[in-house]
Amino acid sequence: MVRFENVGMRYGLGPEVLRDISFHLRPGSFHFLTGPTGAGKSSLLKLLALSHRPSRGLVTLFNKEVSSLDREDLPAMRRKIGVVYQDFRLLDHLSALENVALPLKIAGAKNSQIYQHVAELLEWVGLGRQVDAKPPTLSGGEKQRVAIARAVINRPQLLIADEPTGSMDAEMGLRLMYLFQELNKIGTTVVVATHDLELIKRFGNPVMYLKDGMLTTRAQDDLPAQFSKDPA
Amino acid sequence: MIQFFGKSAELQLEKDASTRYLPVVIAAMIFLAALSIGGLFALSNAISDWSETLTDNLTVEIAFDPAADLDKKVTDAVALLSATPGVANARPIEQDETLQLLEPFLGKNAALGGLPIPRLIEVIIAEDSAIDLAALNEKLTEAVPGARLDIHRPWLDKMVLLGRSIQFLAAGIMLLIGCVTVIIVIFAVRTGLIMHSEVIQVLHLIGARDNYIAEQFQNYFSRLSFLGALPGLIVAIIVMFIFNFLVGSLEASMLPPLSVGIEGVIALLLLPILVALLTRYTVRRVVLKSLRRMM
Repeated sequence: MVRFENVGMRYGLGPEVLRDISFHLRPGSFHFLTGPTGAGKSSLLKLLALSHRPSRGLVTLFNKEVSSLDREDLPAMRRKIGVVYQDFRLLDHLSALENVALPLKIAGAKNSQIYQHVAELLEWVGLGRQVDAKPPTLSGGEKQRVAIARAVINRPQLLIADEPTGSMDAEMGLRLMYLFQELNKIGTTVVVATHDLELIKRFGNPVMYLKDGMLTTRAQDDLPAQFSKDPA
Repeated sequence: MIQFFGKSAELQLEKDASTRYLPVVIAAMIFLAALSIGGLFALSNAISDWSETLTDNLTVEIAFDPAADLDKKVTDAVALLSATPGVANARPIEQDETLQLLEPFLGKNAALGGLPIPRLIEVIIAEDSAIDLAALNEKLTEAVPGARLDIHRPWLDKMVLLGRSIQFLAAGIMLLIGCVTVIIVIFAVRTGLIMHSEVIQVLHLIGARDNYIAEQFQNYFSRLSFLGALPGLIVAIIVMFIFNFLVGSLEASMLPPLSVGIEGVIALLLLPILVALLTRYTVRRVVLKSLRRMM
């Protein structure tokens, strides 16, 4: 499903923000990605989301090596990946329903199929009454749920979430994690980047720990009690 | 047409303040382009008319001589010309008619009758005939002293040269207008790409192809160009009508009426469509090139 081999990444001519990253995610697995601020979590997620290319090393997604992909192949690959951004990245002028429908519309689905499916999904994430609401009128948690619905509407094979519970209260965060678990049970590979060590310990899934651009796999017991607020 | 000009649903380019004045600029460009096209076709038609009128038409000029019997000279010249094979008709132009021809230049003046005006004979050459004009001129000068055959060619050549030069100038202006329009559109599109880079990134990451994004820019800018071109064209047509009216009221036979012909009308009507297509092509190239720089 996902394989990184000695991957390095830098922005422009700057220093490497990821160094010698190697790991393998099996289909249907559920991993947490954690580490202190500035460790490179967002950069690693950008590589997973096909938002950036690695500076070196091999990234293989769905049995295809990313650097050998033509530009024309990228949209089809991206449709297999759902991404939940920390800052939601919803389109403010579109309603919740239209935001969630966007991946299907882009993929060329028919309107009749799109809107029934989207309405059901919004109901499932608890936003059945806010289908016509626009993001600026929604709370942080509601926006997050719209973003999640948009990420999963295409039934992605890989779901990536960057701090998905950051803007929610504890109860809503838990509900969201159960939602991810349900998606994982039906075969979706899930990677959740989070600072919330309590959440990681509670769910007990494998943890990828990033520090200073280097990745290690850690058992739950090896995680720090809390992250220092100073990245240095 | 709806698909062609469809709204940019996700990018909301319609709300960009930066492109709000693009139709005004396009209108000004199309106004100038339409006038250039009008001038180009009107001149082309005028040159064509002059050539057709003068190719089979000659004038014999008999110089004014107070001591000579000009009427006899005219009669002799007409007789000689009528007897020449290839001449379809030779008609003496009466003095009143000659004075009428001079009226646009000298005005209506009773004193005109006293001017030493040469006598003229209009000669029509038969179709498909080959006359040696130099030999005819020589023969005429010998038979009628003071007579000279005017074949109009030097005058016509100069007029055609002037007309062609103005046509090239008009074509150059058209090219310049096209280039400026393309440059303005490129700047507007690049601004739009920068302003909407975040949405474009989101669209890419949820699987949008470059074409999907490019189409929204194409449709929006084509619509702006088309809607800007229409008033520009309408104002230009009104200006051309006013110009034509003014020329007509001058009663000056040297200035032909502005007749663009059917080809000119078609070219003018196609102008908004052509500018929309040019914009569409330019926008597509710019957007796709810019998107290729992103992953």
